[in-house]
Amino acid sequence: MEVIFLLIGFSLLLAIGFLSAFIWAVKSGQYEDKYTPSVRMLFDEETNDSSSLNQNDPNPNKE
Amino acid sequence: MALETFRYDNKIVRNFAFATVFWGIIGFLVGLIVATKLFAPNFLGFIPELTFGRLRPLHTNTVIFAFAGNAIFLGIYYSLPRLLKTEMYSKVLSNINFWGWQMVIISAAISLPLGFTTSKEYAELEWPIDILIAIVWIIFGINMLATIMKRREKHLYVAIWFYLATFITVAVLHVVNSFELPVSFMKSYPLYAGVQDALVQWWYGHNAVAFFLTTPFLGIMYYFIPKASNRPIYSYRLSIVHFWALIFIYIWAGPHHLLYTALPWWAQSLGTAFSIMLIAPSWGGMLNGLLTLRGAWDKVRESPVLKFLVVGVTAYGMATFEGPMMSLKNVNAITHYTDYVIAHVHTGALLWNGGLSFAMLYFIIPRIYDTKLFSKKLANYHFWFATMGALFYVIPMYFSGITQSLMWKEFTPQGFLRYPNFLETVKQVIPMYMIRAFGGVLFITGAILMIINLYKTVKQGSLIAEEEASAVPFKRNSQKRREGEAYHRWLESKPVLFSIFTFIAIIIGGVVEYVPTALIKSNIPTIASVKPYTPLELEGRDIYIREGCNNCHSQMIRPFRSETERYGEYAKAGEFVYDHPFLWGSKRTGPDLEREGGKYPNSWHFLHMKDPGSTSPGSIMPAFTWLYTQKLDTSHTIAKVDAMRELGVPYPKGYEHEAMVDLRRQADSITKDLTNNGFQIRSDKEIIALIAYLQRLGTDIKAQPTTAVRDSILSEYSTK
Amino acid sequence: MAIITENIILCDHCGAECRTADITSSDKHFCCQGCKTVYDLLSDNNLCTYYSLEEHPGETITSDPDNNRFEYLNHPDIKNKLIEFSDDDFSVVTFFIPSIHCKSCIWLLENLHKLSKGVEHARVDFIRREVSITYHPEVLNLGELVKLLASIGYEPQVNLDNIDKKERDRSNRSLYLKLGVAGFAFGNIMLYSLPAYLSHEPLDPNFQFVFSILNIVLALPVLLFSSTDYLKSAGLALSQKRINMDVPISLGIIVLFSRSIYEIITGIGPGYMDSFTGLVFFLLIGKLFQKKTYDGLSFDRDYRSYFPLSVKIRKDNKEQTVPVSSLEIGDYMNLRNRELVPADSVLMSDSTLVDFSFVTGESTPIEKKKGDLIYAGGRIVGQAVEMIVSKEVSQGYLTRLWNNEIFHTESQDKDLSTITDDASVYFTLGVILTAVISGLYWMHISTAIAVSTFTSVLIIACPCALALAAPFTLGSAMNIYGRSGLFIKNTSIIERISRIRSIVFDKTGTLTQSNQSNVNWKGQELTEYELKIIGIILRNSTHPLSKEISGKMTSGEKHEPEHFEEHTGLGISGRIDGHTILAGSINWLLKNNIDVNPGDEKPRTEVHIAIDSHYKGYFVLGKSYREGLPQLFNHLRNNFELALLSGDNDAEKSNLVRFFRSDNQLHFNQSPEDKLTYIKNIQSNGNRVMMLGDGLNDAGALKKSDVGIAVSDDVGSFSPACDAILDANRILTLPTYLKFARSSMVIIFISYTISLLYNLIGLGFAVQGMISPLLSAVLMPVSSISIILFTTTATHLTAKKMGLSSWR
Repeated sequence: MEVIFLLIGFSLLLAIGFLSAFIWAVKSGQYEDKYTPSVRMLFDEETNDSSSLNQNDPNPNKE
Repeated sequence: MALETFRYDNKIVRNFAFATVFWGIIGFLVGLIVATKLFAPNFLGFIPELTFGRLRPLHTNTVIFAFAGNAIFLGIYYSLPRLLKTEMYSKVLSNINFWGWQMVIISAAISLPLGFTTSKEYAELEWPIDILIAIVWIIFGINMLATIMKRREKHLYVAIWFYLATFITVAVLHVVNSFELPVSFMKSYPLYAGVQDALVQWWYGHNAVAFFLTTPFLGIMYYFIPKASNRPIYSYRLSIVHFWALIFIYIWAGPHHLLYTALPWWAQSLGTAFSIMLIAPSWGGMLNGLLTLRGAWDKVRESPVLKFLVVGVTAYGMATFEGPMMSLKNVNAITHYTDYVIAHVHTGALLWNGGLSFAMLYFIIPRIYDTKLFSKKLANYHFWFATMGALFYVIPMYFSGITQSLMWKEFTPQGFLRYPNFLETVKQVIPMYMIRAFGGVLFITGAILMIINLYKTVKQGSLIAEEEASAVPFKRNSQKRREGEAYHRWLESKPVLFSIFTFIAIIIGGVVEYVPTALIKSNIPTIASVKPYTPLELEGRDIYIREGCNNCHSQMIRPFRSETERYGEYAKAGEFVYDHPFLWGSKRTGPDLEREGGKYPNSWHFLHMKDPGSTSPGSIMPAFTWLYTQKLDTSHTIAKVDAMRELGVPYPKGYEHEAMVDLRRQADSITKDLTNNGFQIRSDKEIIALIAYLQRLGTDIKAQPTTAVRDSILSEYSTK
Repeated sequence: MAIITENIILCDHCGAECRTADITSSDKHFCCQGCKTVYDLLSDNNLCTYYSLEEHPGETITSDPDNNRFEYLNHPDIKNKLIEFSDDDFSVVTFFIPSIHCKSCIWLLENLHKLSKGVEHARVDFIRREVSITYHPEVLNLGELVKLLASIGYEPQVNLDNIDKKERDRSNRSLYLKLGVAGFAFGNIMLYSLPAYLSHEPLDPNFQFVFSILNIVLALPVLLFSSTDYLKSAGLALSQKRINMDVPISLGIIVLFSRSIYEIITGIGPGYMDSFTGLVFFLLIGKLFQKKTYDGLSFDRDYRSYFPLSVKIRKDNKEQTVPVSSLEIGDYMNLRNRELVPADSVLMSDSTLVDFSFVTGESTPIEKKKGDLIYAGGRIVGQAVEMIVSKEVSQGYLTRLWNNEIFHTESQDKDLSTITDDASVYFTLGVILTAVISGLYWMHISTAIAVSTFTSVLIIACPCALALAAPFTLGSAMNIYGRSGLFIKNTSIIERISRIRSIVFDKTGTLTQSNQSNVNWKGQELTEYELKIIGIILRNSTHPLSKEISGKMTSGEKHEPEHFEEHTGLGISGRIDGHTILAGSINWLLKNNIDVNPGDEKPRTEVHIAIDSHYKGYFVLGKSYREGLPQLFNHLRNNFELALLSGDNDAEKSNLVRFFRSDNQLHFNQSPEDKLTYIKNIQSNGNRVMMLGDGLNDAGALKKSDVGIAVSDDVGSFSPACDAILDANRILTLPTYLKFARSSMVIIFISYTISLLYNLIGLGFAVQGMISPLLSAVLMPVSSISIILFTTTATHLTAKKMGLSSWR
């Protein structure tokens, strides 16, 4: 079952990759604000007002 | 002026949307065809390219990589730029990504029916296509990462994290599982054999589901549910926890696909343990999605998009609860190899992946075509067709799964199997197969309604190929200063970084050192009587693979009385050391074949393969008539022997020169036996090779006369 | 389109009721010109999405946007303090903006760059209600920037206070990192430890070896990084000859690690790395849970939060802005409406109204005449006045109060050792004793066994569960309090609340409905018509009292009087349909030679009315008390000693006696010092005091008392330094809060017993030297998780039973 070492090796590499990503995220302040981003993503920046209104239309499919 | 204007590329979004729809329909149709074949085996019969064994992989590949795959790209290419307030890094790469991926799919659609397959589930495609996949995937990754680099929004929304995880993990999985040695163009053998091959395959197989059908769609969920309901996700904090928890656990649940197999016991239990742990993050995610809509159910009633999202997420919850349950040993003992698994899979595929994909299409198309959806009513019909279809699909499958399992395991008071003839258990569930097919029809009808709806929508609108948008890039300077502040903290965490680096070094070293040893070690036969396949058997085995027999027949007898009674001695790890690839299978539409060798005379197989009904009345196995006319292609035999030796199969030195001779000798002996029983056939037909292989199966550890020939051959030679 | 419900028109900007329907702009209605201006501004810059995201998201515009209130911000000293980061072409500044409250706010503020070229980038932190703005000083200076914000209804709160603590606490960052590393290690180590437990026969040595190595490597960062807090704190405690919970924890951590290393190297067994990392992981989760804070609130505002940063002074006949700190005696200050008096000074203008609510909590403005000394902290109401600084800021009455030692020395008696610490002392001693004894017991057989037993005891006894009990109980208790209107500074306060014996109230604001006085008419009966015309006159006046009275009157149609004039500090006169109406102080009426029979002696806020030079009577503005106070006090009286300390005169005494029954606990005209000493006295009798107050004048007492609770109608806005902020409308819940605190402590004790049981079971094995990695691997998480589940559910259920809203 030596192949398990291979799998463990790759899994660990992945895990470490993700860990470093996590460290980066925390250090660079990604998680300073744990609420506003969830609201911000709702805004579609628009260049003219009309588009903005249907962009923010709660229900895209109304006739 | 700081405000920068840029353009979202909606063309690429459009392309992926159309591709999703197109391949979706194809995938569904192929699915319907194979479903029909299970109660009408001669439907589209006698055409090699259209047999169940070849179309089933086509079905799985089209729905997973073509339908879901394009849907993933659709979601990412639409949401990523909008979340990062920037256009994709490079249109060229985007297009290479698109056309490259379509090429992969087309080559799959061609090569699979032609019988080019590695036999590994969800990794059937042969090595040239594997390479193409790798290239396209990397290009997609570069395009995504580069886009993230030049983003204008500092924060990476949680969806993006899921996309990233998808890219990185799938890349690694694909590479590791595709270590294979090419024999010829479109033919290769995996580096690993038997148990090891099985472990790698299911480590991949499970994570393919995890990181191709789950994480990207979770990202899609986290983008489209808030967007479609216009309210922020229930708890953003939770979504962050959800991501990191999932990431750190998922990778190790794989072995639960191999419970009770020849895999070491502890590895199996490991799989179970981690699968159970998975419930927590999965349900965290599901609840987060559903609770977002609390108090907005009126909106859900209004909008088909939300309907599909809700049903999808609910299905995800069901599937992610059922999965861990099925990975409990005692549950698995019942559900494995049965239609129950099919039901489980389709709960996820039809409603979670399907539902979310449909939702995306209904959400995106009207937007990029700057119009409203042609008909909400039609979309609602689609929703009901899809949901009903799914129910008509899974319920009978659950039912037949349980039925099969119970019948397989039932004993009479006298201690004999109640249904010694496997066929009885098959006939029992055929009505279920019919209802399932009906479910499929409903689902496809729904999809067709969607096509009409989207077509009309596209017609009434006009594509905004380049959607203009504007945003202010975040100041990286102001953030530099923060890094400065965090300097002492960086010092604090130096031990971590240090150990990480040393660690990476250790692992790479370890891997490099272990790959070769692993292979050498793995090929030391642990059971003396286990011998390599003869050239003819090898060819027969490749025909077995080509015809996709492993789609319906397992070669793995689990240590249960019900199975040893029915099939014989249970499987030992040592028996598979020469199996490149392993052919354990994952489903028993037909009986297990591990110990098929010597069960029936050659003549029986001869008849059975020509017309299954003749030997087994009511069998739903297709007839493989072309095996009797096609000449066995021996042009690669020697290459195959060489390849096997390179993989550690101990063919004596210089054996390749004798291989062809042996092949003919064995073929002749079988032909002779057939002639003696009154069946005329030339010894160079494919059927002979297949019979040779079948007669060999599992005979090593129950020394049988049939193996005599082969033994004499090898022993004789090696004494020279 | 404006929402019109039974012909009440709601302002499309702020949602306030529109008095008239004639302030409109493109089919939208507005309550005032201010709101209209904002709308026009936004629509001109097509920022109307602001209105499509939420219904009337705006704030009513009170201050007139076009004045130079904010110029002082350009004063170098102040600017440099405010600006976080500056570069040749741009600067970054972060403001606290209380009025941030919805989706639209975020959207508008982050699109600020569309309103001014000077703004480059703006980013909102909704929870903290902060906006961080990158702007170009040469295009738009700080003053103009703030003015821009104010003009759209987002006036930042700028004061010395938030200048000084510009540095945001990022300690959570390192906690997240520690947690992440621990979690990562725990997950993987489980992966390598489970096989040993799961396989029936001993694991293939190859695997065992590799797994053990990996375990060590993975466990290292957990020891060196994740668990540092515990090790450090334990070390500190020991160096101070104290024992806290971190001592036994660190003991366990170290022993677990070193013994695992030993066992792995000597090949005795797989070691305890999974238990070790799991332990740290769970502990850190507990820490994170306990660390919860209310980012939006500030619990330690002192007088500097209220003071302006600078004032306008007149030196040799030209105006200039100087920082408050550099005010000198004899400076001529110009203060405008709603500005604070920064230093004790003498009024030079004839008269003005001063709102001392910051100092006394009393909201009704007090009238001051030329030559009166006005204490620092008063807020000018009405038009601009001039005053002479009579004391330096540092010598001012308020400042002296605030320089009182208790604000600087964190008084020891306040952070009394928590129960966890008390418990840990005995616990630690007990554990070490057991360890030594069992060690010695085995000594006679072999040292090896003795050592292993000794260590196993320390491992098993490692008080993970014990350490988790308090954080999780108090943490969830704190959440529950928060959701039901009581915002607590940190979890240790809950423990203090549970020990309260006596409660001290501050009248104003606490018991009364602030800015909601009841108006009584004393005098001869007024006719419908008379009432109407009086209403009209009063409605025309800007004086707060007139506003308050007219607010109470049924608003008739707005009607222009033929004549109207206002005499600041005296009153108003006007004519309608030939009737002359006088309203104001007694002196005002006397001035207009009307004979007045003065009201009852007690000095009160009164508005006297005369129509056509006939004295009609006067309006009395009395405080109205909150509903249900009697029940509240009946309830409290049984369990606590109650007292009242009020800064005001005893006008309300009669009413208050109703609640307190006897009047010997009622103290009026209390100076801040008086309140402080009063609290001290109670404490000297060994009683734990809870003080409820709202004014700055209570701050000393609040700080001194064991639990100081600031009562505030707008929890976000401001409050003196305190341990907790109570939403004024929830004051009736007080008894429940107190009860809940006590039951939380009970829950903690129960979970202590449970975890001690776990330990005893474990010790049972340990002392016999029968401890295995598997045992600890099972015992550790089981005990921890069961404690977490028990504490959180128990707390929530109790809360539910007590009717505190528990689930979100």
